[in-house]
Amino acid sequence: MGKIFSRMGDGSALWLTEDELRQELLAGTEDAADRGKISPLNEDELERLFEICASPQKVVSVEPGHEVVHSFDAGTLKFPLRGGVPVDRLGTVLAHERAFCSDTFEVGHCDYSFKPVKAIIAEERQSMEQIQLNATIPVYYGAMPNLGLYTKPDGPVDNWSELLPLGKIAEAREAQEEALELAVKDIYYVCEAMHEAGADGINLDTVGASGDADFMAALRAVEKLKSIYPEIHIEMGMAGEFVLGMHGGLEYDGIRLAGLYPHKQLQLAEKAGVDIFGPVINTKSNMSVPWNIARACTFVKACSEIAKIPIHPNAGMGVGGVPVSSTAPLDAISRASVALIEIGKADGL
Amino acid sequence: MGGVRTAGDLVARVMASKALRVNEAKKYVADKLGLSVFDLSDSQVMREVREELNIGHVLARPGGAIGIEAKIRIAELLDIQINSVNRFKSKLGLSLLNQK
Amino acid sequence: MSEKEIIASAIEAIIDGNEEKALAVARQAIELKLDLMAVLNSGFSEGIRQVGNLFERGEKFLPELIEAALIMEKVTDILNEAIMKEKATGIEKKGTMVIATVEGDVHDIGKGIVISMVKTQGVNVIDLGRDVSTDAIIAGALEHKADIIGTSALLTSTISQQKKLEDELRRRGLRERFKTIVGGAPVTQKFADKIGADAYAEDAAEAVVKVLELLERSKA
Repeated sequence: MGKIFSRMGDGSALWLTEDELRQELLAGTEDAADRGKISPLNEDELERLFEICASPQKVVSVEPGHEVVHSFDAGTLKFPLRGGVPVDRLGTVLAHERAFCSDTFEVGHCDYSFKPVKAIIAEERQSMEQIQLNATIPVYYGAMPNLGLYTKPDGPVDNWSELLPLGKIAEAREAQEEALELAVKDIYYVCEAMHEAGADGINLDTVGASGDADFMAALRAVEKLKSIYPEIHIEMGMAGEFVLGMHGGLEYDGIRLAGLYPHKQLQLAEKAGVDIFGPVINTKSNMSVPWNIARACTFVKACSEIAKIPIHPNAGMGVGGVPVSSTAPLDAISRASVALIEIGKADGL
Repeated sequence: MGGVRTAGDLVARVMASKALRVNEAKKYVADKLGLSVFDLSDSQVMREVREELNIGHVLARPGGAIGIEAKIRIAELLDIQINSVNRFKSKLGLSLLNQK
Repeated sequence: MSEKEIIASAIEAIIDGNEEKALAVARQAIELKLDLMAVLNSGFSEGIRQVGNLFERGEKFLPELIEAALIMEKVTDILNEAIMKEKATGIEKKGTMVIATVEGDVHDIGKGIVISMVKTQGVNVIDLGRDVSTDAIIAGALEHKADIIGTSALLTSTISQQKKLEDELRRRGLRERFKTIVGGAPVTQKFADKIGADAYAEDAAEAVVKVLELLERSKA
C-alpha cells in the first residue's frame, strides 16, 4: 500500500504510511484519555478508525440505516451573511428544509448573542412566528451567552480581562459574578419570548466562551426556563473541550466548573435540564486530522457512555476533528462525521 | 439524515420532545409509521409515505401540506407536542385536547 | 539545603501559588549564597512554565496563573536586589516585546496570558491592545524600540493580518530590525514559515520559550 492521503488540522495535505497513521490515531486517543482522565479507544475502535481514515474514497459515509440527525448552530448566519446570498431568514430556513434537506434548523440574530436581541425581541418574535407557519422541520432559536458583552465599554460591568493582568483577582471575580446574573436574566427573557413565538427549542451556543461564569450563566438560565416551561426543548453547545477557568471558583451543584471536560460538562447540563448536549473538542491545527479525530472520538465516546440525553458533538470548522479552515475539506469532514457516529456513538451532529 | 426528504425531521422531533437517544427515537418513529428503521432514511420509501400521509416533502405539489399544516399532522401521527402547533391551535380557539 | 533542593522547592512554591513559601525559598537561596540566576531560571521560571502547561490542560485556572505570575514578580525583586548587591548590576531586562491582537480581531484572552507569562521571564512586554492595525503595531514597535513583535489572531479571517505585518515590515525595510512571533488557534508553524515570521507558539508556555530563544538570536 502506498502512502495514505490525509490532512493536517489546518487543512493542508499530508501523506502517511500505515504505521504512521496508526501511531497518529493511538497518540490522539491517548492524549484525550490523559487530559480527560477517561478510557482510551480500544483496539477494535482504533482499527475501525484506521479503515475510515485510510479509505481511498474522497468521501466516506455510514452504512444505510445508520444515519443520525443534524442540528445546527448559527443557522441563519451562514447562508445569507457568511455566504453572502441575498435571501432573508425565512428563505434561508426553507432553502435548508427543501433543498439542503436539513433535519432541523436554527434561526439567530446576526450578532448571535442574547444581550443585543433583548432590544429587538418583538422583531425576532414576529420573524420566528412567520417561520413557524411555513417551516415543517424543527426550527430552534439560537444565541450565545457571550458574557464578554456585559463588560465595559459594551456593558456595565468592569472588564475582568483588564483586571486580571493587574492582579485584581477579587474584583475580576466579582465582575464575572455580576455579569452572569445579568446574562441569566437576558437569556431567560429572550428564550421565554422565542418559546412563546413557537420555537421548537432553544440552542444555547458556544457556552463557556467567556469561561466558567459563562457556563454558569447558561446552566442557571436553563434551570430557570425549565422550572417555568418544563416542555421547552433546550440544546446546549459548548465553546471548548474544557471550561476555561476565568473565575476559577464557581460551582454548580457542588461541582467546580473550571477545568471540566465534556463528560463532566454533560452531567451538569443534564442536571440543569438540557435536552440535547453538544460537546466540543477543539481541533489542533498543527496535529494531523487522524490524531484530532481519534482524540475527538475518545471524548465523545466518554459522553455517550454515560449520557441520559442525546449527544450532538460539534463537527464543524475547527472542532470535532474537522480542520481549522473556513473551507474545511469534505474528505476530512466526512471522516470526522463517520468516526463521531460510529466510534463516538453520537446521536446527532 | 435527510430532513423532509426522509424521516430526519421526524426523528429529530422525537429525539428532542422525548429526550430519546437516536436509536430509540428511530424505533419510535418507525413503529408509529409502520416501517423498519432502515426505511426511515430511504428517500424512495419516505417520499411515498410522506405524500400519502401529507406531512410535508421536498417537492411542492398542489394541495401538498407545508409548514403548520404538515406539523399538525406530524404531532398527531407521532403523538408528540409541537410548540408552534399548540400555539396555532390555541390562537384559533381549537382545543389542545383534540390532539391525540 | 542543596541548590537542587532549593530549585525543587521554588518550582513547587510557584505551582502551589504559595507566596510565603516562594519568598522564604528566595531568601534561603540568598543566605546560602547559591547561584541566584540558576535558582531564578531553573527554579521559579520553570515553575511558571509548568503552571502555564497546567493551565493549557485545564488543570490550573486564570486567577491561579495570575497569582503565580504576581508571586514571581515579588521573588524576582528580592533576587534582583541580592544580585545587585553582589554584582553592582541587577537582572537586566532581557529585551522588549510589543504584542497585539491583529486588526479585525477582538479576542485577547490568550494574548493576556502570554503577556503575564513572558513578563515573568524578565522581558519588558508592551501590550498594544486588540484590533490593532498593522500601522499601529509597527509604530508601537518603533516607539518602544522593541526587539520582538508578537501578534495573535484567533480567526481564520484575521490571520491574513499577520502576513500583512510581515509584508509591510519588508516593504518599509524594517524586517531585519525586529523578530516576529505569531500565535492563535488557526496559526501553525507551517503558516509562520510561509509568511516569513521568525517564530510560532502554540500556547503561552511555548511562547515563553520561543521569546527567550528569539532574544538570544537577536543578541547573537
